[in-house]
Amino acid sequence: MTPKVVALSFTVGAECKTSRARAGIMKLPHYEVKTPVFMPVGTQGTMKGLLPEQLESLDCEIILGNTYHLGNRPGTVILKKAGGLHKFMGWNRALLTDSGGFQMVSLLKLAEITEEGVKFRSPYDDSEIMLTPEKSIEIQNCIGADIIMQLDDVVQTTFQDYNRIKEATERTSRWLDRCLRAHNSPNEQSIFPIVQGLLNDKLREQSAKDHLTKDVNGFAIGGLSGGEAKDDFWPMVSLSTGILDRNRPRYLMGVGVAIDLVVCVALGVDMFDCVFPTRTARFGCALINSGQMNLKHKKYETDLQPIDKDCSCSTCKNYTRAYLHCIVTVETVACHLISVHNIAYQMNLMKTMRKNIEEGTFPQFVQGFINEAFPNGHIPSWVVNSLSSVGINLEKS
Amino acid sequence: MRFAIKQVGVGSERLGHLTEFVRSPNCAIETPTAALMTQGGSVVHLTAEVLAKVFTNPQLLLMPLSNTIKFEQGIKAQGEGIAKFAGLPQHIVCSTVNNINENTPLGHFEMDKVPVWSNNGKKMITADRYMDLMELFKPDIVLAIADGRVSLSEGHKRITKSVDRTCNMLNTCVNRFKESTHLQKSSLIGVVVGAGNPRKCEACIKQVLQHKDVISGIAISGLTDGTEDSYNVPMEKLEEIFQRVSDAIPKDFLRIVEGSWNPAVIVAAIQAGFDIFDGSYPLKLTNAGLALALKFDVNKKSEELCIMDMSDIRYKESFEPILAGCECLTCKKYTRAYVRHLLNTREMLASVLLNIHNLHHFDQLFYHARMHITATTYRVFKEHITKQYEIYRNNQENIPKETEGVQENDTPIKKIKVREDSDVNKINNSSSYS
Ligand SMILES: [Zn+2]
Ligand SMILES: [Zn+2]
Repeated sequence: MTPKVVALSFTVGAECKTSRARAGIMKLPHYEVKTPVFMPVGTQGTMKGLLPEQLESLDCEIILGNTYHLGNRPGTVILKKAGGLHKFMGWNRALLTDSGGFQMVSLLKLAEITEEGVKFRSPYDDSEIMLTPEKSIEIQNCIGADIIMQLDDVVQTTFQDYNRIKEATERTSRWLDRCLRAHNSPNEQSIFPIVQGLLNDKLREQSAKDHLTKDVNGFAIGGLSGGEAKDDFWPMVSLSTGILDRNRPRYLMGVGVAIDLVVCVALGVDMFDCVFPTRTARFGCALINSGQMNLKHKKYETDLQPIDKDCSCSTCKNYTRAYLHCIVTVETVACHLISVHNIAYQMNLMKTMRKNIEEGTFPQFVQGFINEAFPNGHIPSWVVNSLSSVGINLEKS
Repeated sequence: MRFAIKQVGVGSERLGHLTEFVRSPNCAIETPTAALMTQGGSVVHLTAEVLAKVFTNPQLLLMPLSNTIKFEQGIKAQGEGIAKFAGLPQHIVCSTVNNINENTPLGHFEMDKVPVWSNNGKKMITADRYMDLMELFKPDIVLAIADGRVSLSEGHKRITKSVDRTCNMLNTCVNRFKESTHLQKSSLIGVVVGAGNPRKCEACIKQVLQHKDVISGIAISGLTDGTEDSYNVPMEKLEEIFQRVSDAIPKDFLRIVEGSWNPAVIVAAIQAGFDIFDGSYPLKLTNAGLALALKFDVNKKSEELCIMDMSDIRYKESFEPILAGCECLTCKKYTRAYVRHLLNTREMLASVLLNIHNLHHFDQLFYHARMHITATTYRVFKEHITKQYEIYRNNQENIPKETEGVQENDTPIKKIKVREDSDVNKINNSSSYS
């Protein structure tokens, strides 16, 4: 008899007494991940020129890969022969892959969605191609990430047609069943369903309730962070986390700007991913508590401070703003250096939140963070409203 | 800095070491060696954190002014020199005016000035301005400003200008160096140009040696203008030049070769008594997606070429290290298939992993050269390396032009067809429902 293997076990260690924030541990086959967690995006089996050992020293515990890209290159044949993406890229900690659907709809203009799957034209030879829920899971099984995503019916967040949104939401539930049936390694990989419904609260509620009945280890909240107003965004997050049960992790897809992370942790989200920290690094932007520092700016030419004197990343320990100013957008090294800092920034923010949740000081942390982010006191109304909805009432600094 | 010769080989090859550096007093750099080529103050593609994973000891770095002149205000504000400013304080810096291989327009000359092409365009630099910057940058080794980007096949007039200009500027550099308080612990190197014309070259050496009490060595430039054509020089001609220059200068002088020379030229120059090489060759390979794979064991013959095109389809499913037995970080952990995938997808990590391997392996070339000099078997080693490079060279000549990766500035990645790799594209060939 082989011992029973669990692909995911989640333990909530501490809960904020005021808000819905919680800190926990998500045990995955490759790593024990502390939540709330930010997952940097390494699209094609690599993270912006950083070595996996650098990501480890940055305390990254789980990173994301993109199924659409990996399915194209290197392709499942090579990934299978390599023994999965972990081995192929030399990353021993946890991985999560998306379903590939979002990428197709956003990257390929001619994507057409039918009950069967997502139909699109190959960017390589113009042939017609179909990504079905089964195919998505087959590719994700080959990649071998610890957490994999169901294929969902993606509609642009700001889309208005009720019938189409309803169709997409219901189809997402049907596709979930097909994904679960097609899944061939449930002991090593957990499929997360995706709560859909865009900005319609009835549909979103229905979607979350449908998924709750399924035998799954966690949930994703999708269809948000697509250009909608922040006043429309947070109530949907709140609605979703309010329905999903407390014993399973909740992953909010595509969110990673600091203020959004703080608000959504307060709303009860456990996992986040976003390309923003590494993408912005390419353009010479470093993340700091008061927002972004554009190192290209002339004022940094003789600024001998590190990006952030309180940051312990290798970039802040070795390099000045003045040096980075001289090389940003010119040398590849600059991109690596700022990526290191930006990932460290995200990791630090999450770590600080976990610590405050554990110590029962999360509301005070939020107040302090907001004061720093909005030093002039002009706090956006959506931040005030969302936080007060979970009992954190901000004081004007 | 101090240079001392420890042992002279059967030919003119010699073992030496550089010591007494201001910032790293306990460091000793064994010669012959290569100085790692930097760009914008960093070893290309490698942050300080990654560099420390490749080399645990302080390294000799070549820092061209052309891509560091923009640091002037920052270094002035900090006041601690370029190594500290570039985040590499413990490393040994050798400054020079240009990276000979930088792709810059040729043919812009004024008397007593050298054009420096930075990101902001052309700047004409005088010897005085150069020395002003050197006093700020405080490198361990200063290569005098020179008009050295001249190929061997240049005409008499251009070579004459190059020699005159270089010697004139050296006079200024020497005077400024003698008066400088900031450069007291640094070493000044005179640049020898005019190699394309033996009489002019001799005259240049004569003038450089007028300063032999001030300078610590010579660097030979004027062998190439950085273009690929100008590197195609018959080996006998280069060997003759190396030996002639080497014989004409004092034995205790440090001898440096500028230019991105291949391993066969390097082992020849070592035999003529040269000590330090421009380390841009491995970088050139990295940028073309190529891996250096010399076999150092003189008793083993190998069928494989000493330069591998890592984007080649043959490595698609090769889950072995780039080079079996290589102790570099890349070979210890990553496969050819992964490196190929990164090249194929134009990911930045491709250059990082390839450069880690190429820099390590290039460093090993010098390590083995030193071992053979110690064992008085250098000649055998030189033949062994030369032969491997010749086989590669002949092989390259026998295949169509488009696969000559090194010959192009752009990487050969774009030639790879990705279609065959695609699984998503195969989706419609099978039934959608399983
Ligand atoms: Zn930092
Ligand atoms: Zn290696």
